[in-house]
Amino acid sequence: MTTNGSDMDASIIRGMTQPRITRRDLFKTAGAVAGAAGLSSGLSSVAGALPNSNVGSKTWWASQHAHHQLNFANWPYYIDTLNGTHPSLVEFKKEKGTNVSYSEVIEDNPAFYQRIIPSLSAGGSTGYDIIVMTNNSPQLGYLIQGGYLIPLDQNAMTNFKKYASPTVKNPVWDRGNKYTMAYQSGWTSLAYDANKVKTPGNSLQLMFSTKYKGQVGMFADPIELGAIGLLALGINPASSKPSDWTKAATKLRQQRDSGIVAAYYGNDYINHLKSGDLAISQCYSGDVFQANVNGSKNIKLLTPKEGLLFWTDNMAIPLYAANPRDAMDAMDFYFSPLTQAVVEYYVDYICPVPTAKNELLKPTGWDKSVLTAMKAEIGLTSTQVASAPTVFPTAKENAISKPYYQFKSQTEIDTWNETFLPIVQGQ
Amino acid sequence: MSRLAGARRWGRGATPYALGAPAVVWLFALFLIPLVVMLVKALETCSPITQACTMTWHWSEFSYVWHGSAQSIFTSLRFAAYATIIDVLLSFPIAYWIAFYGGRRKNFFLLMLLVPFFVSFVIRTIIWQFLLSSSGIILTLARDLHLVGPNYHVLQTSGAVIAGLAYNYLPFTALPIFVALERIDKNLLDAARDLYSSKVEVFRRVIFPLARPGVFAAFLLTFIPAFGDYVNQQVLGGISNTMVGTVIQNYFLTFSNPTSGSALSAIVMGISLIAIVIGGIAIGARNLGDYV
Repeated sequence: MTTNGSDMDASIIRGMTQPRITRRDLFKTAGAVAGAAGLSSGLSSVAGALPNSNVGSKTWWASQHAHHQLNFANWPYYIDTLNGTHPSLVEFKKEKGTNVSYSEVIEDNPAFYQRIIPSLSAGGSTGYDIIVMTNNSPQLGYLIQGGYLIPLDQNAMTNFKKYASPTVKNPVWDRGNKYTMAYQSGWTSLAYDANKVKTPGNSLQLMFSTKYKGQVGMFADPIELGAIGLLALGINPASSKPSDWTKAATKLRQQRDSGIVAAYYGNDYINHLKSGDLAISQCYSGDVFQANVNGSKNIKLLTPKEGLLFWTDNMAIPLYAANPRDAMDAMDFYFSPLTQAVVEYYVDYICPVPTAKNELLKPTGWDKSVLTAMKAEIGLTSTQVASAPTVFPTAKENAISKPYYQFKSQTEIDTWNETFLPIVQGQ
Repeated sequence: MSRLAGARRWGRGATPYALGAPAVVWLFALFLIPLVVMLVKALETCSPITQACTMTWHWSEFSYVWHGSAQSIFTSLRFAAYATIIDVLLSFPIAYWIAFYGGRRKNFFLLMLLVPFFVSFVIRTIIWQFLLSSSGIILTLARDLHLVGPNYHVLQTSGAVIAGLAYNYLPFTALPIFVALERIDKNLLDAARDLYSSKVEVFRRVIFPLARPGVFAAFLLTFIPAFGDYVNQQVLGGISNTMVGTVIQNYFLTFSNPTSGSALSAIVMGISLIAIVIGGIAIGARNLGDYV
């Protein structure tokens, strides 16, 4: 994988992202050591039962009762807000008598994982009853594989079973919704500043245009960067192969080395787009909608012919959570069309409950007064939100929604990272 | 020998140790133990899922991270060196003026120098981002006056990162130099003048040599943190100027790879030590003990 500006060979690049020996080697070593010391149980303790093996069964759930207390960890600006309170949580308290401590502590999947894994692997509570992780990040897979999530109570998913969109039911990353329920979905695509980009076209090729040299922002997250690179080459990320990854990386490296890319960004890209430092940027759909609401009407979302990358943020109950029953109740409450109408009016990502659209158009219950009260702050009518294809996608958008690559092993994650990470790190 | 006298003698001998104990405990608990933990981690292999580590004596980790990150290390060294030089050149005249001409208002002038630094480090850097952005006041004005072209930008360039580093570490340079200049006995300057030294000679042969310990301390306090800095590059920098602090942060936080992160941290510490020695020699230390 020698490319211009870099005299490194593939083994060195691999060395930067991959632990020196594979886990299988590690188990082999552990086995040898255990054998030598006469500790036959050494290996079985390494490969033993998952930490969540004795929770989440029907009988276990039957013994769980509501404590009227809930600690909910979520991403910033991701819930309905009115005068400093969250109306949906106020309603939840009214219905179930549960006090919710809501914290906006998740800004990035890997960093949040690093924060909770020390307590989980030591057998202690994270302090949260609900966490929200993205399906395209390896970390959600780590939590499921490592046995760090409580299997959900399938009997307490009434709203989910009735109202959830087919796009989030029985998803590939969590078959049968054993551990997760969607919170919101979104698209990753390109956003552009209509004052600078007069002819955006309808293709992801826009991000390779030398006309906007030094004014194109890309995501620093290798998962996102690689996926849009694949899509731009016309390759479906979900069915891509490592050889495709290399092709996409070559193209992205050319984009960087010819000076088109200004920088690789995290969530702050939207500010650079608003301030005019960027003409084009990789983006999350909801951010563009919110930027428009907040006055930056010149920021537009591109709907490329190659497709829109579709991701989902998922609610899950971490192992050792103190209030699993309350978490279950809250998660199902968020699948009520009334709740989602209120959430969506503020959040503007893709709604996991399609019938919430009817509630936004014609509220039928507690949501009515809340939607009216929120209107002044939102500055949009609820009809406008109901008719936004970025909130309630039409058949046209659903047809071009593309899922991410589903990693099957740690080796694949390492290969992906070693392919795309050096681009971000200037190597 | 009475018991009391014995106790007193023991007590007198132990006094320096007792007084030094807090420093020793501090050094052990907050420096040596973390350092050893870091080195141990670099030689282990960790599971990305459980983050559990097993000692596998992977010495090759060091050469792997060195090959992968040498470029960012050199970038960091270069940026830190530029920022340090800029800071010394800027703060020496400031410190000199305050020390020799500040009079009764010395403390007020020092306070003025420090006021911007009452704001948090990250917030200050983000404010620079606002100031230097293409739609910020400085560039908008410069464009309107046709001083720069329509596509001129400052953010994402190496210059922006160096400027950010120089700005953020300025007080760490100015204060030690001020302290050294302040301590100079003014009679020495009169004596030099009495012996027919010119102003330039007074500076070159009296003031600067006496200020050297301050310059060396300023170098240490500016260069070392600037070398490991990762905030300025991420907020103000672009793609061609990844600093090693960012690479280390990515290893730990993005790739769940504490092994490589620790190995690279150890390399960075080693290079810092070498840089201290080289810097000390360049500034004119005969032995480092003189200045510490």
